Parts: sequence; structure tokens; C-alpha cells
Amino acid sequence: MTPNDLEATPKQNAERHDETTRPGAYFQPAVDIFETKEELVLVADTPGVPPDGVRIDLEGDELVMEGRVRPGEYDGLKPLHVEYGVGGYYRRFTLGETIDREKIKAQMKNGVLVLKLPKAERARARRISVEAA
Amino acid sequence: MALVYLDPFAQLQTELERMVDTAFRQSGSRLFPPVNVFDAGDAYIVKAELPGVSPEKIDIEVEDDALTLRGERSFSEPNPEAAFHRRERGTGQFRRVVRIPGRLASDEVKAEFTDGVLTVRLPKAKEARPRRVQIEAA
Repeated sequence: MTPNDLEATPKQNAERHDETTRPGAYFQPAVDIFETKEELVLVADTPGVPPDGVRIDLEGDELVMEGRVRPGEYDGLKPLHVEYGVGGYYRRFTLGETIDREKIKAQMKNGVLVLKLPKAERARARRISVEAA
Repeated sequence: MALVYLDPFAQLQTELERMVDTAFRQSGSRLFPPVNVFDAGDAYIVKAELPGVSPEKIDIEVEDDALTLRGERSFSEPNPEAAFHRRERGTGQFRRVVRIPGRLASDEVKAEFTDGVLTVRLPKAKEARPRRVQIEAA
């Protein structure tokens, strides 16, 4: 039997709370978010977005990520069979951790955005030893 | 004169939205990867989104009117102490056969992979290409 472990899910339209001046469809990218002692890591599938098409904003504890795709690619192409929509990506998160903003790292490879958010020193779990009185 | 910003995707997006609903309703299972097939005049273009897949792990085969895409999506697991808050991205193997709606030339099929999007260009057979017809003088 042919392997097909992966299933396609239809793209979800993103709900933007801000109004953009540029028109266009935005979808919610699938993400993995995991946490280690030192950092929060967010991995998002944003196919079609070049490294310079990404915008990340962290305001207070709200993280906004936006990816824009290149429009020119589809010039002169007539759709015959279509299974997925084309557009940018947008997703917003409220972070539960305090992040050291200076040390945020973002990397884009093969349409996947990896965002590393190191926890602020204060927020890291620290062992407090109890002194005998 | 007012300056109007035209969304380069607007027309494409409307057409896509119409067709996406139909396509998904028709197919029972959700095949991976989802593909879009376009007509580029002298060639068919098949696009598929494969974020996070390394191009070396994608296998492309063309036979008659069937395009087979095969490969694997895998990522390195974060360290075992990591706690997941969300896990929406899947991993695994995939194999998909796409039927091309026309005759293909024996010309080379070209494929490229940029930013997670695979684009396969399949040149149409000569007879299938749009041809200019001259009106003969009577």
C-alpha cells in the first residue's frame, strides 16, 4: 500500500484585528509551539513567503506574525484545478512568558518560519535554597 | 484621477475560492500535498505547498499524463525536555498522483522548489498548444 501519512487540511482564513491598507487573503499558518527551560519556540508553515516577507511584532505579551507572498508568480496562469488558496499568513498569540526581546531570533527555511523567544532572566525557574534559620 | 491599489491576487483569489470549495467537496480524503494546476499556454504548471520538506527528499516522476510526487516531511525533534503547547504541523510520508488534463510533449519537465513551494512545469504536446491561425487570402 502506498504510504500517505500526511493529510491535507483546508487553509483557515485568518481573522485580523487590524485593518490593512493592502487587500489580499490571509491564512492562519499551522504552528508548533514548544517550551524549554530557556525559551519558547514557535515554528510556522508559511510556504511561499521569502525570508524578507516576514514581519514579527512583539508588543507587551502579544506576538504578531505576518508573512507576505510574492504576487508576480501567477501572472498569465489560468487555474484549471485548485485545491488550496494562495495568500499571506497571519497569526497572533498572547505569550504566557516574559521574553527577552533583544535576543529574539527568526529563521526562514523552505517556507518554514522558526522563531526563538528566549525567556527573560527573571522568568526562568531558579532554584531557591532555603537556609536553615 | 483617483489612484486605486489593485490587489494582484484579487482575480486569482476569487477564482481559487470558487474552485477550492468544489475540489474539497468532491474528494473524500484529503490528499497530501494539495495541488493547484494551471494552464500557462504552452505548458501546464503544477504547484504544491511542501513547507519544511528538503528538495532532496522530493521525488518527481512523469509518465504519460500522470505526475507522481513522493517524499517525506520530517523535522528534527526538539530536545526531549520540551513541552508542546501546540502541535499542528504533521510529519510523514506522502505519495500523490496528479492527472494532467492534456497531452504532454516529450520535452523536459522542469521543477523548482522555492520557499517551500514546488513548481513543476510540464510542456504541452505541440498539437495541444494554442496556435495562431492565419486567414488565407481568397
